[in-house]
Amino acid sequence: MLENLKAATFEVLETMFFIFPEGLEEAANLFHGPGLRAWVPLVGPKNFRIGLTLPVSLAREMAANFLGLEKDEVPPDRMEDVVKETANMVAGSFLTKEQVPEAYNLKPPEALRLDLDAQDWQENSHHLLLAVEDAGLEVFLEKTK
Amino acid sequence: MAYNVLIVDDSATMRALVRKVLKISGLDLGECFEGANGLEALEILKENWIDLVLSDLHMPEMDGAALVKALRQNNLWQTIPVVLITTEGRQEVLAPFLENGVQAYIRKPFRPEDIKEKLQSILGEAWVPHAGELEGCDF
Repeated sequence: MLENLKAATFEVLETMFFIFPEGLEEAANLFHGPGLRAWVPLVGPKNFRIGLTLPVSLAREMAANFLGLEKDEVPPDRMEDVVKETANMVAGSFLTKEQVPEAYNLKPPEALRLDLDAQDWQENSHHLLLAVEDAGLEVFLEKTK
Repeated sequence: MAYNVLIVDDSATMRALVRKVLKISGLDLGECFEGANGLEALEILKENWIDLVLSDLHMPEMDGAALVKALRQNNLWQTIPVVLITTEGRQEVLAPFLENGVQAYIRKPFRPEDIKEKLQSILGEAWVPHAGELEGCDF
């Protein structure tokens, strides 16, 4: 399952953002400063959420690539919108790769801002930690209520 | 013939991206309208002549499925070509749309060429290719 989540993430970042993440052991040390987390609820017989967490600096770079702007031209609301749309695309691609049954549906993405230094970063069975140059990128698939 | 296009997506960023891709795609583009969901799309359709609808599927308020249904039930709008641009890739979800009046779908993530190729196949002679139209774009 995590392999498909990883493949979906790579597909989205490479195709839409020209960004090439790597799976590095030291990725857990690359989460610093202000960050953004966006996720998409996956509703069905059981409920999940699929999402990602990243530093604002990486979100700004992604938005700039996506919109063809310079980094300092990206409005903050567009940055959040790009991260939400990225979560949406990763979730959709994951559903396709995993052949998740039709009974599961994606809901509109949600997002929050957070301090990355205040979090504990560990890779486990439902959290992937990746590196994009000197920035960390977390991708997760979690059960929800 | 210049095509008036309606882009429907709850992400303003995605609408901006699709608009940008359309501009460089070679389509003879007239006016480009944007709506954040199906309800906004219907309001735009009431006030404007639209030749092509590019719509997301998962949207709040009124989703793409409800929008397609409304289009197909309206005598004025039922022949407008609709292309879904969606994260949805499961065939069992998409097949009913293709059987009920949606011309094609483009799965996100997409390359600019994906949109161009799909619209070319739907619109045929409306296509006015320009040399190097996708070359050197900073997308």
